[in-house]
Amino acid sequence: MHRSGAEIALSLGVLALGVGVAAVTATLPSEGGYARIGPNFIPAVVAAGIILLGLWLSFEAFTGGWRKRDEQSEGFEPSPFLWVTGGLFAHMVLIGWAGFIIAGTVLFLCVARGFGSRRPARDLLIALGLSVGIFLFFVKLLNVSLPAGWLAPLLGGAGI
Amino acid sequence: MEAFNALLAGFGVALQPMNLLWGLIGVTLGTFVGVLPGVGPALTVAMLLPLTVKLEPTGALIMFAGIYYGAMFGGSTTTILLNTPGESASIATALEGNRMAKAGRAGPALATSAIGSFVAGTIATILLTLLAPLVVDLALKFGPAEYFALMVFAFITVAAVLGNSTVRGLTSLFLGLFFGLIGIDSQTGQPRFSFGVPELLDGVDVVVLAVGLFAVGEALYVAAYHSRLAETIEKVRGSLLMSASDWKRSWPAWLRATAIGFPFGTIPAGGSEIPTFLSYATEKKLSKHPHEFGKGAIEGVAGPEAANNAAATGVLVPLLTLGIPTSATAAILLGAFQNYGLQPGPLLFESQKDLVWGLIASLYVGNIILLILNLPLIGIWVKVLEIPKDLLYAGILVFATLGAYSLHQSWVDLLTLYVFGLLGFAMRRWDIPVGPAVIGLILGPLAETQFRRALSISQGDASVFFTQPISATFLAITAALIIVPFVVRHWGRLRRG
Repeated sequence: MHRSGAEIALSLGVLALGVGVAAVTATLPSEGGYARIGPNFIPAVVAAGIILLGLWLSFEAFTGGWRKRDEQSEGFEPSPFLWVTGGLFAHMVLIGWAGFIIAGTVLFLCVARGFGSRRPARDLLIALGLSVGIFLFFVKLLNVSLPAGWLAPLLGGAGI
Repeated sequence: MEAFNALLAGFGVALQPMNLLWGLIGVTLGTFVGVLPGVGPALTVAMLLPLTVKLEPTGALIMFAGIYYGAMFGGSTTTILLNTPGESASIATALEGNRMAKAGRAGPALATSAIGSFVAGTIATILLTLLAPLVVDLALKFGPAEYFALMVFAFITVAAVLGNSTVRGLTSLFLGLFFGLIGIDSQTGQPRFSFGVPELLDGVDVVVLAVGLFAVGEALYVAAYHSRLAETIEKVRGSLLMSASDWKRSWPAWLRATAIGFPFGTIPAGGSEIPTFLSYATEKKLSKHPHEFGKGAIEGVAGPEAANNAAATGVLVPLLTLGIPTSATAAILLGAFQNYGLQPGPLLFESQKDLVWGLIASLYVGNIILLILNLPLIGIWVKVLEIPKDLLYAGILVFATLGAYSLHQSWVDLLTLYVFGLLGFAMRRWDIPVGPAVIGLILGPLAETQFRRALSISQGDASVFFTQPISATFLAITAALIIVPFVVRHWGRLRRG
């Protein structure tokens, strides 16, 4: 076993989260009626737990690495990871503005590209079919409202 | 007798045409999504939850029972036909099932899995019917202190005892507990950790956490590490029927596996993983054909598959009678109840008799639907398996984001989803289990409520948890679970050193 920078970073991240939770907990009120404990008690317990676990993980990370780790995955490929991430963020921006169908189609195309698809025309057809299908199913059959966005004139008032 | 009458009334509910239809839709959808490679039962249930928002509770929960069973079955089809390191609960099936398929015996492997699931599921449902009223009677005597102690016991077994590492299991649990704190405190109305963001005041939705960890996290992980890994799908050649010798070798395995799976499901032991492996080991030991193990022994499929289904039903015992989820999937099912303002537990058996017993009756019906539906439809499931990975993950993410967005029609939930996706990616990459986080999110707020109620009753006296016998027992067992392995390890080291 060897020291891993990622393990150290994650361990310290857990520790930092615990300190953050503790800091916010300090601003919560403590009065609690008959129980004598308020809404800040369990957060304090959770903060203490996360801090202790962060210390424990850090100890393991600095002394030969986390114990009993499964087989490692090697060879991180940034490009597919970024395509998926980009697709999700584009979807986040587009959905309330351009509507569910366009956002879903863009997300589909980005993820398919990230997983190595080189057939954008096929992907576009499937993406549109799937998004329109889901949209109509949810809006017409399940009465769940989804934003129609730019395509509102084409969808005849369905969605919001 | 009382249970029998209640069950009959339950069948009256479950056999209503609309409820039968919901059951049928649930089983079919559950199988369809469960067959998709990389989509386990927990994710299947979480992704399909938004479909039921506008249904009335009984129909919705019957549909969910169908989805739950369908997802289990769909998962085993994938494991048998696709050699992929998939869900932990189906690894045991993969050992023999995939080798049977490679040897051209996919048909009998699928058949023993389907019929074994039916046999085990039905026996386990009968056991659930008999056991539930007894547990309910016991649970009615529980006060807040007992519930709290029981929940602590469930937390510790799921997080600390199972899995590779106690510290990483507990880290996952505490992350879930922290997410559970976000939102308005149910006792005082005090907002906590919401930082003025309106979407966070409602708390973290279990669908967003589960879909983020399981779907977005998995997509990011597979994209980054395995996007070019090719998988081979075994063809289903020849007959689906099992030979006389297949039957003879399968049925004892089904029965033994039910006896192993059901009890493991009812205790907080993380669902199906342990019983499927135990069943596999048992069959290997008892088999008259031990040399076939590793080359495609049918007992090695029949046992784990039956154990998986029996455990899946066993999980419903603590879920329905105590309101305590013991697996990630059960935690999401509990979230489905909560969406309707229902809290599973002994009181639900009183106040919503028709719903609870209708649900239990629908489990019998669901098992029959699964048996009738799945073998004839195997051709369709194979087609589903053949969906290429690029289209598969693209479709999963379109559906996954929809579930999160439909909560508040807000992009904030999509950002939360991505953050949980990154977390899921990191947890997968660095071997931190995700199940405890989902259980912590759902069970944490319930445990806090019971804790504060117990202290309200005792006027702030914390000794209440140790002076009540049931509560003290649970806490003592919990402490022993943590301390004993630690002591044993260090004692051994001391004696050697």
